[in-house]
Parts: sequence; structure tokens; C-alpha cells
Amino acid sequence: MSLALNPRVIVAGVVPWLVPVAPVTVECGYPSPAQDYFSGEIDLNEHLIQDKTSTFIVRVAGDSMQGAGISDGDELIVNKALEPKDGSVVVAILDGELTIKRLRITAAGVVLEAANPKYPSIRVPELSELRIWGVVTRCLHYV
Amino acid sequence: MDVNSFYASAERIFDPSLEGRPVIVLSNNDGCAVTRSDEAKALGIVLGEPWFRIAPRAKEWGLQARSSNYELYGSISSRVMILLARYSAWQEVYSIDECFLGVKGSGEDLLDLGRAMKEACRRHVGVPVCVGIAPTKTLAKLSNKWAKKNKAFGGVCRWESVPAAEREALMARLPVNEIWGVATRLTKRLAGMGIYSIKDLACADAVMIRDKFSVVMMRTVLELQGTPCIPMEEERIGREQLIFSRSFSTPIRTGLDMRQVMSVYAQQASARLAKHQLQAKVLTAFAATSYYNPADTSYPSVVVPLPMPTADPVILAKAAHALVPRIHDGLKYVRAGIMVTDLRPSGNQPPLALFENAHEERRIGPLIEDVAKRFGRGSIGLGVAGLKGGPDWSMKRDMLSPRYTTEWTELPVVKAA
Repeated sequence: MSLALNPRVIVAGVVPWLVPVAPVTVECGYPSPAQDYFSGEIDLNEHLIQDKTSTFIVRVAGDSMQGAGISDGDELIVNKALEPKDGSVVVAILDGELTIKRLRITAAGVVLEAANPKYPSIRVPELSELRIWGVVTRCLHYV
Repeated sequence: MDVNSFYASAERIFDPSLEGRPVIVLSNNDGCAVTRSDEAKALGIVLGEPWFRIAPRAKEWGLQARSSNYELYGSISSRVMILLARYSAWQEVYSIDECFLGVKGSGEDLLDLGRAMKEACRRHVGVPVCVGIAPTKTLAKLSNKWAKKNKAFGGVCRWESVPAAEREALMARLPVNEIWGVATRLTKRLAGMGIYSIKDLACADAVMIRDKFSVVMMRTVLELQGTPCIPMEEERIGREQLIFSRSFSTPIRTGLDMRQVMSVYAQQASARLAKHQLQAKVLTAFAATSYYNPADTSYPSVVVPLPMPTADPVILAKAAHALVPRIHDGLKYVRAGIMVTDLRPSGNQPPLALFENAHEERRIGPLIEDVAKRFGRGSIGLGVAGLKGGPDWSMKRDMLSPRYTTEWTELPVVKAA
């Protein structure tokens, strides 16, 4: 196999000097043309996790975020260090429990919305009273 | 930097219902309280208090207890350390929840930096920490303690920012064993020389202290006086020892059972040595009966010099078995352990083939490790160590929280309802 990768012209009358090589390594001749371009497979950690000190993975229990593409049993990537903004899907601390909601910050006030009409929105008097545990950055949905 | 009530704080990250409530974390085997939240301290629970004494009142207090979740604490610790390393190129991780960082700057800059570190730990990882800033490591530890005790500091105390009179008053108030590096057992001898408080020690003559005690104590004196002499250990080059010790959920009563314990511990010590690419020259095996049962006490131990520096589980287990004849059948042994000392990097000096351990050549240690990694601890063992169903003396962790950050099947659950 290695030899096939490195065709050599055999001059008549000269016995070629065969070097036994392991099939995967290319001992002589041209290096693999891809070698200079290969810098490792895609690493999901690198693409999905901005900061490994503040990123946690959590599992969803319930269907209240169905409309946001987040289903019961999905895993979420949560970054605790991100600043929550209007529209962020957040993990909030409600009654001592980690709860997932969409945060709405408008002139009218702060609201935690579900993404399922079955569940009512929760109005929060002050943003400072709200305890946000982290901001959801990705959903790992089972298909 | 030191994390406040580290184990309890780590538990609170994923269980906000523990916020504001008394929380304790128990030692191996749910033996005694090793970490107390501030609320638990306020209840008068002392460090090391056995769980069986606390348990009857837990409900009345609203106290929550957790078994030691080492997987979780290790993961949270590493996040904190990686985060803080961004603030200084010079970091010495001193323990699971403490590190020293080398920083330079003016007073106000340093205080700002300390506050930034504290805020980063809260936001990124979710744990409260205190920061002590001082010209020496000993004073930094003292400042840190002060920041913890006195809320007015807001968790960050810079020694030199505090008026000198206040610093002196603090040192005069605190007993000498409150300082880093002074063992409680030395307090009597120090008291005999009129040294009771930290201030007394700081005012002592360093040379006299060296002559009467040790160089270590002299360094403490100099550090208290503001001269740095305990260098930053950027990397611990050689570990002096490695200890593997646990208490049992059910006491061990026979030499035969102890033999099994020793085999398991030897195997685990071997795995750790191999992981750090170390070999040991000496093995110490020990066992102890309960501290709370003063009748029938027995504290056997043996020191076994090994024929060659080794990490071989077979040889370590054989050496550890020397403890077995010293076990009195019938007594209740509640803990045992092995310690390997005189450690050296493996392969530093290849032994002559003549002396090479036969098992080492066959790489039994790594083989056992590979199997254990794939099929779990307890799936394979040496001789009697490999038992079906796991031995019944192994660690009890009845109040264990999930391994939230290290096991895919135990992720924290967020409610979508």
C-alpha cells in the first residue's frame, strides 16, 4: 500500500531497493499532501464551550420550553458568566430550584416566560430580585 | 485565595435550596463533619463532630448533611484554580480550596484585583471566596482568615491597608497556633517561653526560635515580620508521600478481612503511583480501632522497606500484608491505610535486569488499571481483593449528591414546568 502511494520509476536493469514500511506511515518519497493542512478533527468542546470554568451542562425536565426548541430530556449548555439580556434563555433560581425560562426585560418590567402556552409567565418586580444561575447558549436536542 | 466552606459551597452551586440553611459535609463513610457552612457553625457544630451526635437534631435545625462528593469537589476546585491562574502567571495550588498567587501593584490596585478575583469565582463557578493580600505567604494566610471572620472587609483584606494598630491588636488577640505553620502541639512549649499570641511570636528573636525549634518556625517568625522566606512552589518536584487511608462502614474484625483491605489499598496506591510516574521505596501499613471506644484499642502499624523502588501492585500488596499478623481478631478496626514514602520518579534509574520485578515486566499494574477504567473499580483485583459484589466494608456515602459535572448520567436537572 505504501509503495502504491509512492510510485517510483524503475530503471531497467536496476533492482529496486525495497524498504519495508508500515502501511500507515510514509517513509520515503513525498509526504502526504494533506499533512500541512491537518490540524486535528473538529473538537466540540472548542466550538460549544467558550469558557470551561463557567460552562455547565444541565438536563431539561418538562415541556415548558417546547416552543423554543427545547424538549424534555434535552441537555443544555449553560454559561454562568454571561450577562443575561432581553430574550436570553436563562436558568433562574425559583423557589430554590433551577428553572429554565426566557427572560424579557422591557420598559413594562421584567418577565420570565415559558415557551409553551400551557404555562403562565412570571412577572418579576425588580431585575435585582431575580437570581439568574446562568445563560443557555446551546441545546443538545435528541432527534 | 481560599474558598469559603468549600465542600458546602460546592454542594450549593447545584442545589440552591441549601442557600441560607445550615449545611455540613461529612468525612469518608459519613463519619464526622469536615465542612460547615456559616449557619452550621452558628449552631455550635464543631469541626470533626461525629455525625451520630449531630443527626438526632438535624431535623429540628433544618440542617442538611451531605456525604463527601470528591468527584464534584475536584471538578469545582479545578475550575476555580484555572480561573484564578488568569490573574497571575505565578500560582501555587496549595490545597483543594486554596492557592497562592504572586501579584504586584500599588495598594488600591491590589485590592481591586482581589475583588475582581472574588467576583470572577462567584460569577463563573458560583462559589464564595476570600482573598488575603500581603508581602509574605504567612501574612497572606492571616489576612485571608481575617477577611473571612470580619465581614467589613467584604471578603478581601490587604494586610498593609489595615492601620498598624489594628493589625497589632489582632495579632495580640489570636493564639499562636492560629498562624499557618505552627502546630497545636507546639503551643505548650511556646507558652513555656512566654509566647502565647501571634504577636508574641512575631516579636520573638528569629535565631533563638531556630535554635529552640526549627528552621521552619524561624521562617514563620520572619514572615510575620514581613520578610518573605517561604518561596512559591511553582511545581512540587517530588511528593514526599502518598497516603491511602479510609474508615470502614462496617468494622473489620479479622486478620483475613484486613488482608483483603490491604490488597485493595495497595492496588489503589499502585495506580496513583503509576499515574504520577513514581515509585516508592518504603511502605507503611496501619489500622486503628475506634477513637470513641476507649476500651479495646489497638493501633498496629508496620514499616516495610521495599526491595527495589516500585509501583508494582503485587509487591505493594505483599508488603502491606505484613500488617495482618498484628491484627487482633475480635477487635473492631474502624480505619486502616497504607502510606508509601521515599518516592522517586519511575524509570530514573533502570534497575539491573537481575533485580527487576517479574510482575513489573509483565506490566500487571497498568493492566489492572486499564480493566478498572473500562469496567469500573471493583471489577478486577489482586487475589482476595477482587471480590464479587464488592466488599461490604467499602466506603459508605448515604447522603451523596450527584456527580453533576463529571458524569453524563448525573447532570443537574433544570425544571421546565
